Order: sequence, then C-alpha cells, then structure tokens
Amino acid sequence: MLDIRGLEKRFFIHAIGRQVDALRRVDLAVGPGEHVVLVGASGAGKSTLLKCVWRSCLPTAGEVLLRRADGTVVDLARADDRTMVELRDEQLGYVSQFLGADQRRSVHDVVVRSALKRGLAGDEAGDAAAGALRQVGLGEELWATRPVVLSGGEQQRVNLAIGTLRPPGLLLLDEPVASLDATNREAVLELIAGVARTGVSVLSVFHDLDAVRRLATRVVLLEAGRVAAEGEPGEILEHMGVLR
Amino acid sequence: MSVTELTAASLDDEFAHLDEQSKREIRTALLTAVAVPGYQVPFGSREMPVARGWGSGGLQITLSIIGPDDVVKVIDQGDDAGVNAANLRRLIVATTAVQETTDAGAASIIQTRHRVPEQPLGPGQIFVLQVPVPEPLRGVERDMRELRRMHAEADYSRMWVSLYEDIVRHGVVTRTTGYPVLVGGRYVMATTPIPRWDVPKLHQASFLSLFGAGREKRVYAVPPHTSVEPLTFEDVAFEVEQTQGASCLLCEADDTYLVEVPARAAWICSDTDWCSRRRDHLGGETGGVTLKTGRATVGRAKADGITADGATADRVGTGGVAADGVTAKTDRATAGGVAADGVTAKTAGAGGIMVDRATADRVAADGVPAVPARSQRRPSVPGWTLQVDGLTRLFGPVTGCRDVSFAVAPGEAVGIIGESGSGKSTVLRCLAGDLAPTAGSAVLVRHGQCSQEQVRLFELDDTARRVLRIATLAIVYQDPAEGLDLRVSAGGNIAERLTAAGWRHFGRIRSRARSLLERVEVPVDRMDDPVATFSGGMRQRVQLAKAVVNQPALLLLDEPTTGLDASVAAGVLDLIRDLLEETGISAVVVSHDMSVISMLTSRVVVMHRGRVVEGGLTDQLLEDPQHAYSQRLVAAARG
Repeated sequence: MLDIRGLEKRFFIHAIGRQVDALRRVDLAVGPGEHVVLVGASGAGKSTLLKCVWRSCLPTAGEVLLRRADGTVVDLARADDRTMVELRDEQLGYVSQFLGADQRRSVHDVVVRSALKRGLAGDEAGDAAAGALRQVGLGEELWATRPVVLSGGEQQRVNLAIGTLRPPGLLLLDEPVASLDATNREAVLELIAGVARTGVSVLSVFHDLDAVRRLATRVVLLEAGRVAAEGEPGEILEHMGVLR
Repeated sequence: MSVTELTAASLDDEFAHLDEQSKREIRTALLTAVAVPGYQVPFGSREMPVARGWGSGGLQITLSIIGPDDVVKVIDQGDDAGVNAANLRRLIVATTAVQETTDAGAASIIQTRHRVPEQPLGPGQIFVLQVPVPEPLRGVERDMRELRRMHAEADYSRMWVSLYEDIVRHGVVTRTTGYPVLVGGRYVMATTPIPRWDVPKLHQASFLSLFGAGREKRVYAVPPHTSVEPLTFEDVAFEVEQTQGASCLLCEADDTYLVEVPARAAWICSDTDWCSRRRDHLGGETGGVTLKTGRATVGRAKADGITADGATADRVGTGGVAADGVTAKTDRATAGGVAADGVTAKTAGAGGIMVDRATADRVAADGVPAVPARSQRRPSVPGWTLQVDGLTRLFGPVTGCRDVSFAVAPGEAVGIIGESGSGKSTVLRCLAGDLAPTAGSAVLVRHGQCSQEQVRLFELDDTARRVLRIATLAIVYQDPAEGLDLRVSAGGNIAERLTAAGWRHFGRIRSRARSLLERVEVPVDRMDDPVATFSGGMRQRVQLAKAVVNQPALLLLDEPTTGLDASVAAGVLDLIRDLLEETGISAVVVSHDMSVISMLTSRVVVMHRGRVVEGGLTDQLLEDPQHAYSQRLVAAARG
C-alpha cells in the first residue's frame, strides 16, 4: 500500500542558518489492511514522517510510493501539487493533533463537506456525517456549533469523524486520542480498530502504549530520525521497556 | 475668367446662405450619416445668423440640401408660427426663394424642433431635426473617448442600467424627449428633441430623417425603411405620452399629441396645422372624410405623459407589467401612405450587443444560468483553467514582476502571497488586462459541455478583453469603488453585468439580482439603494455578487478583505469560500494575509521582489516553508 524508501527530511532554518535532519534514510512499508504504529521520543521524527506522506512536508530525498485504488503507484515525494490535491481527496486521510477543519463552519457542515469531497452524493453525505459524528460520541446538540467553541477533546473527535468517514485507502493518524477522556478514548480506539477491519491501511503515531498494543499489527520505533527497531507490538514494546 | 469675376459670380449666385464648399462638406457628412444609420458624424459646424442652440444644426442641413424646387415647412413644437420657426423659415426663404408651406404633405423638406407632424410623411420627403444634445449616452458617461468606445463596440449595458434604475426608482422609464432608440439594430441614437409620442413614427419610415446638432457639431440620419426600436425591456412596455380622456379643445382630436393649456385646464393639438385642417374637415368641406394621424393604438400612460400607470417597481419586478399596449403601431392605411410596420416594443437579443455565446446558451432556458452540479466540479477534461507562463512586467528599470508561472485547475483556488510591492497585484492586473505585460503568456480555458475554448489573455484586443470580462473572467478589487458604480443601486450594478451578457427581461434581471444579493447576504430591502450608501463590507458583498453573476470561468480576487475590520472581513471571507465551493469557479486569490490564503486556497505561490520564490500546497507552505522569505512570512503570520 505504502512503501517508503530511503526517506530523508532536512529542515533548513534560514533565520538561524541551521539545518535539522528530522528523518535519515527511513525505510518503511505498510501493507493493505495493516496498522503500523510509529513510536519514539518527542522529536524522533514521527509526525514529520506522517507529514511527508501527507506532503505537508516536502521530503528532501527518498521515495514515498503509494499504491492507488486503481493499482497504479505514485511517488508522493515527487508528485506535483495538483496530483497531491487529488490524492488527498481520494486516497489519503489525515487526522492530526490539531484541528485542521474550518473553524467557522458548524460541526455538521464541516463533516458533510468532507463527505462530499470523498465523493458521496448529497443525501448520503448527510447520513454518513451523522453516522460518523455519533460514532465518535459527539451529541447532536453540538452539531450546529462551530468547532472553535468546542473543547480540545471534542475537536479531536470532529477530526476523527472527518478522517474515518468513508475511509480512503491510507489513513494517517497523529496522536488521535491525545486529548480524550477514558470513555471517549475507548470509543475512538474501537472506531479505529473498526476502520482497519474494513481493509484500510493505517499509519499512526501513538504515545499511548495500551492503544499501540490493541491496534498495531506492527510497530516501528524511531530514534533521532532513524528506524531503531521494527516488529510485533509486544516485541518492540518490550525493547522499549528494556531501553528505559 | 479672372479671379475677380469668379468671386463676383459666386457672390451673386450665393444660394441658401452657405457657400458651396460648406454645403458640400455638410452633404458629405450627411451621406456618411445615411450610410451608417444612427452613427454620429462630426462636421464643421458653421457660424450661422442664428444663435447656436436655436436650430443652427438643422438649419445648416436644410440649407445644404435645399434646391430651388423644394417646398419647405418649418415648425417649432408643432407650431408653424412659433417665433423660432418663423425666423428660420424667413431665413431659408429669403436666401433661396423657395416656396414655403404649412402643409406637411406638400413640403419636400420639413425642418422641426420637437415634433414629427401628425400628417404622415411619405417617400421623397426629407425630415430635418434640430438637435440640442446628440449623444444618447451623455447621461451615463461624460468621457468622450469612453463614449466613442461604447458606440464602437455597441456596449450599451450602462444605458440599459439607466433604464433599469429609472424603472426601479420611478416605476416607469421617465425619459420624455430624447428617448434612446436602437437604429438598424446597431447604434443607440438619441431621438432628441421629439417626444416619445413621435418615436414610433421613425421606425421603418418611408421618409429620410436627418439630425443636426450645430453646437455639438454632429449630424446623424435615419434612412428610409430602417428599424428604429425604442430601448425597452422585453417585459416592460414602451409607452407614449397620453392623457386618458383628453381631447383637443379646438378640433376635438384625441389621437394627436396634445399640449396642455393650463389657464383653461384644457388640451390642444401640438401640431397647429393639422389641427386647423382637421377643423376645416369637420366643417364638412371635404364631405365628412375624417383625417387620421399617422399613429393608431399606443400604450396609454397617464396624465402629464409620464407619471406611472400604477406600475410600481415591485409590480414590474414580480411579474412584468402587462401594460396596456406593448406594441405601438403605426397606421398604414392613411393618406400619406406610410409604409411603416408596427413597432414592437421589443429589443430582444438586439443585434450589435455582443453576447458571450456561452453565457447566452446557459441563460437560454429560463434566463437563470445553471449552476453546475457538484458532481460536475471535477471535469473529465483534464488540464488547467489558467496557465501563466513567464509573465514579466517591467516599469522602466523597475521590476513589477518577472518570470511568473503558475496554473489553476478547474474549480481550484490558487493563492498568491507576498508583501506589499512583491508584484502580486501586478500579476493580477496583467491577467485582468488592466496592465500590459512586458513578456509571457497566459491561457484561459473555458470548459464547455463537450468542448473547450482557449483564450490567450495577452493577445486580446481591448474589445475582446471587455467581452471576456463580461462572463468569462471577473475580478474583485480591494476597493469596491473600482468594481462598482457607487451611484447605481446594488441591483443596478448586477444588472449591468447581466445586460452586458444580453439579458433584456426586467423581471428576470431583477429576480436574478435579488437572489444573488440574498446569497451574499445583502438585505433585499437595500437592493434599490445606491451602493454609495452601503458600508464597506456590504459594498464588497455586492462586488462579489456582481463578479459571479455570469458564472465566470475564472475569478480574480485582489486583497478582497483588506481594509475591512476583522469581523466584517471574516464574514466576507466565509462568503467567498462558500461561493467558490458552490459555483466551482476557479480563482486566483492575491493577499498578503496568510489566513486569507490558507482559508481559500489549496495551493499557493509566494512572491518576493517580483519573482515567485516558492510554490506548493498551502498547508505545506505553512508547515514546511522552504525559502528564507517564506519562512519569515509564515513566522510573521504565526505572530
């Protein structure tokens, strides 16, 4: 589904004349229906890796090969911007720690619009949006409000509703349960597990080791921009435990 | 023959006051005028022994064309005995010794101010009008060059807007004399100085009409059998002045143009000769033959000629007024044998008005352009809506922009961001045609149902560019005053774009304007107020409505929210985003404000010192700006 080869990302900060190597020759593959979780310390390059796939960061070198629904393969590291716009609508989903959605539209509206973007027709989109919002446990009383007035956890769930609605081939999740309380966290983890069961490939970042254990089919440990270890969840978590 | 003899002879032979050279020059101008009906031909207006403004233009025409065998009639306000008429006639007769008459049927040349005689004129007769203001568009535009351009391109949308505004404000078109007409389907002409009553008589007339404006140095003409159609909306009748129940105090005629005698609260015929002859006929001298005027049924407007026939703006707006007579017919079976057809008060799709074909097609069905369905937003035809390549504009040694290239896909909004002076507005102005580029190319593609049409923006002439800006390329300026006529109502501003695209149905124009204003959340009860009375935010909303009304292929937005206060700007921004999404119009958004760009666009180019330093996905620019300048820009936006 996704095949990352020799991915490098170097940030050059002009103001201070310094460069930062965030990713150094990362190789990583996500198979169909696989849920690969990235773990590692802050600054290890987990989010940058997701962004290089989503292409909100420009890879410096390497390949990010994505197999499209029609079987063709596209290198996201070199795809032109216009292709990326289309891929984002059709093939990719991205849920970040921060609300990317429009702050000045009602919650419901925001989700419906994403559904439309994913190619659902008018009525279906409304139903799908309502379904997605219920699934993440957002009560109808909140649907008419604007995301900007919601709590962090509620916003997070709006994001998830958008990301998991008619899920694309590859879903990128960046700390999706970071700001959720126990109950909502449970619901969201269940939702993510459900999405993966439908055959969607997931590449995610979690700090929550319990979540990793429950969801991951494979875990990749990043350290200072390099893949330090890779394997079964238990194996890697154990390795991490040893490190600690 | 010696020079002295020659001069002496010419002095002796001086006929009709003017020398032969002058007459020849005026006749040449008249021939041009006849060849191009309705077109105002400049001529070297001579000093005449009457003051300019007292008929010097008409007099010069008459004196240039008159021959010894002519029979002349001169009237002023329909009256042969008016001081001015009497003086002009005396001058003509004294210098030519031609026969004079008051009988319109017997005259070969009729010079007039303000009236066409009731007696139908026939072939071979020449009708000369003294014109004070020859320019029909003077009321809507003062700049002479612009006026000439409007005539040259048959760009009469502003004239239509003035009619629209008139109906909105007064319920009817209030123009009395000088009612604008479309001559031969091409030129809009002022019928000054005749009243509306007489306008239908000019349509497909068998006689020649010559118009002379001495002060303004213009002559124009309506040759025989030329269509003269009063400008009026399809659903608003062209009405002539008429007072219900009024008849002439003297001859009892109720089918002539009547003037009021206030002292006696009565009416008399304006055409005195006609009136007196009718009285003679009534006396039985010709055995009871009733004289008929050259006019039959016309729509009846109320007293004073012009006050509304109860037709309020709203009535007109909702259903289209079915005023009494939509057609003003000229009676054919009358003595003079006028071979005129009925003038239909209809100028639908009038020739000469350049209608963008695509627009015309889209509005054809019911006058409401179809909004493309959402599913069609991503057209099957791949490619770009706009492709800019190597655009360079230099201002002498100063670089406006250099080698700017980018492309916009169908339905996509692309941003151009940069600080003041970075050249982003220069790019936009070059695309809009307000500035000529020094080098580079820009191709705009209009995707049709099954075809696409390419326009090379920098290779268009002014006319083609203006036509393009009607319905294919629209621009929203930072300052609404640039995109709007502030003296005109909100609805009128939108009507301008619609009439330019060929809309001629008042009711439809109004309902389209209303629905658009509703869409941009301008209170509908302000629709008929001049935009000058609107706040900045409201003006910007009206400008947006005007820009998208014809569903352009590309919308250029130049700092659309700069200058508005934060809460208003947010509302306008929301509106722009929603409009772009709903309509699927491609857009180029120029702004120095990262929040505007990130809200409206999916891709962006960064300009710095006239060059594109970076281009990419909008969120990528925010997340991972590459160029030093972009990094500063993003850092600044993050505060």
